[in-house]
Amino acid sequence: MENLTIEATRYTPSVILDAENGFIKIMGKSYPENTFEFYKPVMEWLEEYFKNPQVNTVVKMEIIYFNSSSSKLFFDFFDLLEENNDKSHITVHWIYDAENESALEAGEEFIEDFEDLEIQLQEKE
Amino acid sequence: MVCVNKLESILEEDGIIFLSYGGSFTQSLIAGMTGVLEKEVEEAELSMKTSNNIFVVFIELAQNIMNYSKKMNNSIRFDPKGLIYVGKKENQYFVCSQNIISSHDKQKIESRLAEIVKLSQEELKALYKEVRRSGKNSHDKGGGLGFLEIARKVQNIEFEFEALSDEKLYFKLCAMV
Repeated sequence: MENLTIEATRYTPSVILDAENGFIKIMGKSYPENTFEFYKPVMEWLEEYFKNPQVNTVVKMEIIYFNSSSSKLFFDFFDLLEENNDKSHITVHWIYDAENESALEAGEEFIEDFEDLEIQLQEKE
Repeated sequence: MVCVNKLESILEEDGIIFLSYGGSFTQSLIAGMTGVLEKEVEEAELSMKTSNNIFVVFIELAQNIMNYSKKMNNSIRFDPKGLIYVGKKENQYFVCSQNIISSHDKQKIESRLAEIVKLSQEELKALYKEVRRSGKNSHDKGGGLGFLEIARKVQNIEFEFEALSDEKLYFKLCAMV
């Protein structure tokens, strides 16, 4: 399966989807003009990946701030991960800056919503 | 220069203005203006929480204008024009916007905002999570969470409508961060 990388812009995060290593990373700001369109290839890649995933999948998310449609998208993203939890051991690292309370709160709320998914809050070094 | 002076005095009446813009909205422009705001808050040495709240409220309102503004004449076509400004008055940061909507949109916006402004932060969080989970307000451009997102990041929201014709209105909103 092909890896997928997307470079960051002023309003979209960088994305690394690495099938060989079971590694997923989304990092930056997220307020695309059309959020669902921007993340469509990411979601499609994930659907494909989980047909034949690695034993372990590590997801790193470091989002500085995001608009409301990205919030909905991240919810759907975690939903997809949770659905595939039995096919691969998934660990999510929600990385936040110590001073960025909103990012921490957003991570805590995703933990509340996805009890069956292992989401770890990780302060940025 | 008369017009420029007039504009300046109008802006000053509302407090210190970080940024003001009127005209067409594009994604690239919104990103550019957000960049300007990032510089402003850096100089003002705001906390990251307050800064991010200002950015998110600004982005929600600006993207609303880009996605939902209607033409002034009777066509129902979109016309991404509006007005937005970010400022500070008596230690309170605010983001205000104005754009043209249809009377049909007014009904939706008014009932949604009337409900939201009555809720406590706890109730807002619960409703936000419910709407996000159910996807009941989702449409092709977003999750229908915009006003809830704003309400969760500010202390107060004021809004009003001003009729332009039978079909069109100005929608004005000010959010105090």
